[in-house]
Amino acid sequence: MDIKKVVVIGAGTMGSGIAQWFTQQMCSVELVDNSQEQLLKSLQSIHLSWDKLLEKNKLSLEKITEMKRSLFIKSLDEVSKDADLVIEAIIENLDVKKDLFKKLDNHFSSQTILSSNTSSFPIELMATAVSSERKKRFVGLHFFNPATIMKLVEVIKAKDSDERLCQDLYQWFESNDKKPALCKDSPGFIVNRVARNFYGEPLRIVDSDDEFKMKEIDHILREVGGFKMGPFELMDLIGIDVNYSVTCSVWEAYKREPRFAPHALQKQMVEEKRFGRKVKRGFYKYD
Amino acid sequence: MTNISFDNILINFGFGTKEEKKKILSENSEKKIFMDLTCYDPSAFYSEFPQLKGTFAALFCDELKKIEIHFKERDQAVINKLVELGFTPIEISIISCGFVFPRTIVQIINEAYFALDEGVAKKEDINRAMKFGVNYPKGPFEWSEGKEIYVLTLLEELFHKTQDKRYIPSKLLK
Repeated sequence: MDIKKVVVIGAGTMGSGIAQWFTQQMCSVELVDNSQEQLLKSLQSIHLSWDKLLEKNKLSLEKITEMKRSLFIKSLDEVSKDADLVIEAIIENLDVKKDLFKKLDNHFSSQTILSSNTSSFPIELMATAVSSERKKRFVGLHFFNPATIMKLVEVIKAKDSDERLCQDLYQWFESNDKKPALCKDSPGFIVNRVARNFYGEPLRIVDSDDEFKMKEIDHILREVGGFKMGPFELMDLIGIDVNYSVTCSVWEAYKREPRFAPHALQKQMVEEKRFGRKVKRGFYKYD
Repeated sequence: MTNISFDNILINFGFGTKEEKKKILSENSEKKIFMDLTCYDPSAFYSEFPQLKGTFAALFCDELKKIEIHFKERDQAVINKLVELGFTPIEISIISCGFVFPRTIVQIINEAYFALDEGVAKKEDINRAMKFGVNYPKGPFEWSEGKEIYVLTLLEELFHKTQDKRYIPSKLLK
């Protein structure tokens, strides 16, 4: 498999990061968004990031010039029809995504691979919007933030995705310095499912709004466990609201299986708008 | 299990059933005892055996040998002995069934086994996803390799204590 031309739809944090990473692999990348303002902001931010890498001598001027020439911002109607790979990274709204995939299915060549970076919806549900032929070339590609740094890409095989195509994508990412993981189309895929108890279990050990105990648990899991951050400081960084929402979404998807149940304190904090670092108040205070 | 005795102190290491642990405590009532209770609830042991002066969790420690230790009565000689044996004791005040690190990782490991059982991904892919997607120092199956009996025992202990179905182990662990 050779991926040379990539279209990324959605110029938010994830879309921009994904576009930047593919350009750094010397692919030709077209970044698409409804908002021209967002596109310009994203392009400027990617260029700035490359300029910083140049200053630090991490990339050569030639390479950066080439990358800047290979990254384009476009509207959906303008994008090349012969892209090898399209990655959708728009808002997490199933109806909006399905409408988009219907358009993409009509727009792109039959050989183009369509994919979604969703963390919330089954790939199979989005694939209902495309033709039965395209379903074979429809997969999930779940990147992690920041996409230029985090190595993992979950390659998600939906019911009708071509097995060989998934293997080829796996190999392609592996040969381009990512660490792909192949997984089935199931709620939370691997990471958002298996990681739930890194938050859920410490919450049950504390079982109350006790900052002293939380601090101690963060310390133990960093010192003894070797985690880069403890669960409470990490939840404050991610956002209590965001983490609670992912927990509830996985819990509901698994028909309220007790292993995924949110803790009462998470709900209480969301109600009290203690969303974490972004509002300077979460499990800890940030004054 | 291994016992190390010095002065009037006994340090008990290793995995054992609750009954085996209690037998050691009963047979050494005249000594100050410090015991590895990774898979159990230290508070239940403290209340039953006054000679138990401290508990620790060493069953899941890796090559760095960092362990959680809780003292009912702090004893520097015990710390010194553990350091002499290559451990780095991290003193804690929280008393919890399964301590903090073991209790957290057995739940992560259990979920990884459920995912494996459902065919979500292979072991290597699950390990890789957790290390490179959320920067875990090890993958769940790397933590559990050769320690499945400890994972299962702690999950069953947590279920027995709480009756919460979240602790029901994956059948692959049995």
